[in-house]
Amino acid sequence: MKIAMNILQALILILGAPLVGGIIARIKARLQKRQGASIWRPYSGLVKLLRKEDLVPPTSSAVFRLAPILLFGTTASVAAFVPVLQPTALLASWGDFFLLVYLLALGRFFLSLGALDGGSSFGGMGASREALVSSLAEAPFLLGLVAVAILASRADIAGIVGWTLQQNVFNISAVHILAFISLSMVILAETGRMPVDNPATHLELTMIHEGMVLEYSGPSLALIEWASAIKLHAMLALLIALFAPWGMTPAGLGWGAAVALLLYGAKVAILMVLLGVVESAVAKLRMYLVPEFLGVASAVSALAVIFTMLAKR
Amino acid sequence: MQIAPAAMAFDFLLAVLGFVVPLLLIARQTNGARRLAVTLIMAASVSGCLAATLGLWQRSAILVNLSGVTPFPFSLTVDSLSGFFLLLICAVATPVTMFAVSYFDLHYSEQRRNWIWGFFSLFLLSMIVVVTASTGFAFLAGWELMTIVSAGLILMEGDSPERRHNVFIYLLMMHAGAAAVAACFFLFLPFSHSLEFGAIRSASSLVPAGTRTAIFVLAFVGFGTKAGIIPLHLWLPRAHPIAPSPVSALMSGIMLKTAVYGFVRLAFDFLGGGPPWFGYVVLLAGGVSGFLGVLYAIAEHDLKRLLAYHSVENIGIIYLGLGTSLIFLAHHAPLWATLALTAALLHTFNHALFKSLLFLGAGAIANATHTVDLEELGGLQRRMPVTGTAFLIGCCSIVGLPLFNGFISEWLTFRSFLAGSVLTNTKAQIVLPLMVGVLALIGGLAAACFVKVFGVAFLGRPRSMEAEHAVEAPVLMRSGMALLAAACLLIGILPGLLLRPLVALAQVLIPGAGVPEETLSITRIIPWTAAIILGMCATAALCKRGKRMVRTWACGLPELTPRMQYTSTVFSKPIRFVFSSIYRPDRKVERLPADQPYFPASISYRSVRTTSYERALYRPFVEMIVSLAHQMRRLQTGNIQVYLLYIFLALVSLLTFLRFQR
Repeated sequence: MKIAMNILQALILILGAPLVGGIIARIKARLQKRQGASIWRPYSGLVKLLRKEDLVPPTSSAVFRLAPILLFGTTASVAAFVPVLQPTALLASWGDFFLLVYLLALGRFFLSLGALDGGSSFGGMGASREALVSSLAEAPFLLGLVAVAILASRADIAGIVGWTLQQNVFNISAVHILAFISLSMVILAETGRMPVDNPATHLELTMIHEGMVLEYSGPSLALIEWASAIKLHAMLALLIALFAPWGMTPAGLGWGAAVALLLYGAKVAILMVLLGVVESAVAKLRMYLVPEFLGVASAVSALAVIFTMLAKR
Repeated sequence: MQIAPAAMAFDFLLAVLGFVVPLLLIARQTNGARRLAVTLIMAASVSGCLAATLGLWQRSAILVNLSGVTPFPFSLTVDSLSGFFLLLICAVATPVTMFAVSYFDLHYSEQRRNWIWGFFSLFLLSMIVVVTASTGFAFLAGWELMTIVSAGLILMEGDSPERRHNVFIYLLMMHAGAAAVAACFFLFLPFSHSLEFGAIRSASSLVPAGTRTAIFVLAFVGFGTKAGIIPLHLWLPRAHPIAPSPVSALMSGIMLKTAVYGFVRLAFDFLGGGPPWFGYVVLLAGGVSGFLGVLYAIAEHDLKRLLAYHSVENIGIIYLGLGTSLIFLAHHAPLWATLALTAALLHTFNHALFKSLLFLGAGAIANATHTVDLEELGGLQRRMPVTGTAFLIGCCSIVGLPLFNGFISEWLTFRSFLAGSVLTNTKAQIVLPLMVGVLALIGGLAAACFVKVFGVAFLGRPRSMEAEHAVEAPVLMRSGMALLAAACLLIGILPGLLLRPLVALAQVLIPGAGVPEETLSITRIIPWTAAIILGMCATAALCKRGKRMVRTWACGLPELTPRMQYTSTVFSKPIRFVFSSIYRPDRKVERLPADQPYFPASISYRSVRTTSYERALYRPFVEMIVSLAHQMRRLQTGNIQVYLLYIFLALVSLLTFLRFQR
């Protein structure tokens, strides 16, 4: 029963990911007074790309074709760590957030290599910028999670979520607020959203992620886009699991799970609207302001860690 | 009864490396003799692995006592700590020797090859003596031999004023370090009355606090110099890159680890920890070395110098673990101290594997392209697929990505930082969890650096004719690298193999601790994660259809040239820009003619990365020594009567000293 729920959770994260992307695009369109495409459009995009053939530069090596597979493989395995409906997940009771963060790093490492294998300057440009952003984002990411873990006195994700479930909704501490702020900032940077990266342009002055994937096409591109969607969805689910898990049920399949699913949908919807508003309201930061953005996130997360001293009494 | 095979294997190792191989190479300068010598070195390394494994698992001491033969007490003992480091040395030496067979054959003349193999053998022997010594004299003898032989190996590669200068700096700093190490052994003498390790260990409780502090500081400085802790690292990026690649692999992979061994032996085994500030000093040194080491590495485009700076970084990570362990010890938390010490020791082992792998990879690149300048490389993965794959595994390991061995030890270090939050001491409670951020930053920058290294050297299109015509390395080189790469993967996926004996070892050094839960959970989770990733990748691979070769899009230009690719320098530009206050680059742009700024005939650009603190720290020290030397020169008049007076004065003062001492 538990296994079935665990697999269902992973499937929700992986298969539902393009839908999340579609809804965010729709919300952004509405905020900008546009009609917007259907929320199912990302799925048809993926299907279209998967049917095509791979275009490969003749000078590239095996790394070019393997990179998207490894990126997808590692990002999709992150889904095994994030609780959605019940306060645990496939590997969440053994695996901790350090492993989760480094799994994402593994995928990113290979995508950057794939970008450099194309042999054009765009790939290098994207990889070089990604290297800057991701190397600075790792510290606030882990520190924010460390703050939450110290409060819960647990390091495994299931343990943290279980601890938060037992707390009163109104009993949130300053640590939670600070950690939430820093993690949200980090997630904007990690998933390549505004104000760090603009997912909608192909302008070389601004692009990071799009620069890296410029040489990719067909199934490879589909895997990369799907992986980015999974990453965004998993990060949103992680925020929910860490900061607002209420409604999750340990009961297994049944009415409880259905309610949990509805509640999860509502919580993701709130985050998606927030993301849409932020992305429409702020301008993209200049490249060299991104370190300052992440510096603020680091400072906030460091404060969160320091404040755990007071919160633990 | 079970001790016997291990002892025999160990004796065989010593005899072969110390006597048989050097004598054979001196006696007969033929190809056959050399081949036999190399085979013997390999056999000795393998038997060393065997001896070490038996010693580590059974915790049975092997003893070799030569005190009757030597003028001073000289004995070697393999206890569990020595056994671990012996395993490390032999496990790395086997594949490196394999690689070196091809490498030396291709690079050196007949005559020189004999010498280099003799030194190679002595170098291995000296390191084995250092980690197994059980008297202070044996330790110091091995320590000196190690320095001198490695300097000889560096000079083997060639001779130029610059190389001599670098070797001079190396020897100078090593001897300063050795003096500190010797001093810290001698400080035990008034209490232990002997330099035997057993006596020192049992006398260490008698040592008063002031002397303990002095011993700790001397050990920290002495071993820190050898380990390459910033700011004592000055020699490291100079000496390592100019050695032959297999020797660089040994120096970075093993020689630095002997310093870690010495420090663990003194700080944990002899002193048994100390006040918390010991730990904080080590933690600070680790953090600074890790951060600055990786930052300097990113700015390099000479592959071997870059790797040398990464050694500084990784030693920093090891010291982070050691410092954390000392802090836990001081706060009476033996369980967590065990965890942190296990993390540090495992990282020591892991670094030995992947750093020697990477240096061998650099050797294979140098062999194929005659350069290790990243700006001249590119596209090597297509031309050298086995070398490339092994090198990639090394890159993933050093970055600390999951499924590779570096991750296991970094993860354990992270978890021991996190465990700091359960201490009751406020300072430790705040500092240790914040160190997670420091290590994460180091890890992130290392990832950026190795994307650059692998991406620029192995991927894309070749940037020079040499890279264009590179061919795969010979079979022995490939198998040496493949062995190391396989070991990295094996520990990365099945960490329990090494973790169990390591925890047992840490428990010997830190009595009274249980088995930390973390070491068990990582052993359980990693194989499952690997299986899931593999499954997901297989699913994704099913989606792939046919491929078609299409030239990279060139923005409408007829064709891309390799020069349009991102270079190593450009790749690291954003990071260098962000951290420019630490690099303090010195730039000069000259336009000619000067009166026409918009239509210059030529522009020359020169950028030098300066390490401002090196000047600030070393300049006054060097000046002081030089001026002292000038002062001393006044004594040297060249007049024989004055020298006789000195001798007379020395005699009188000695006699007076003896008279009043009674």
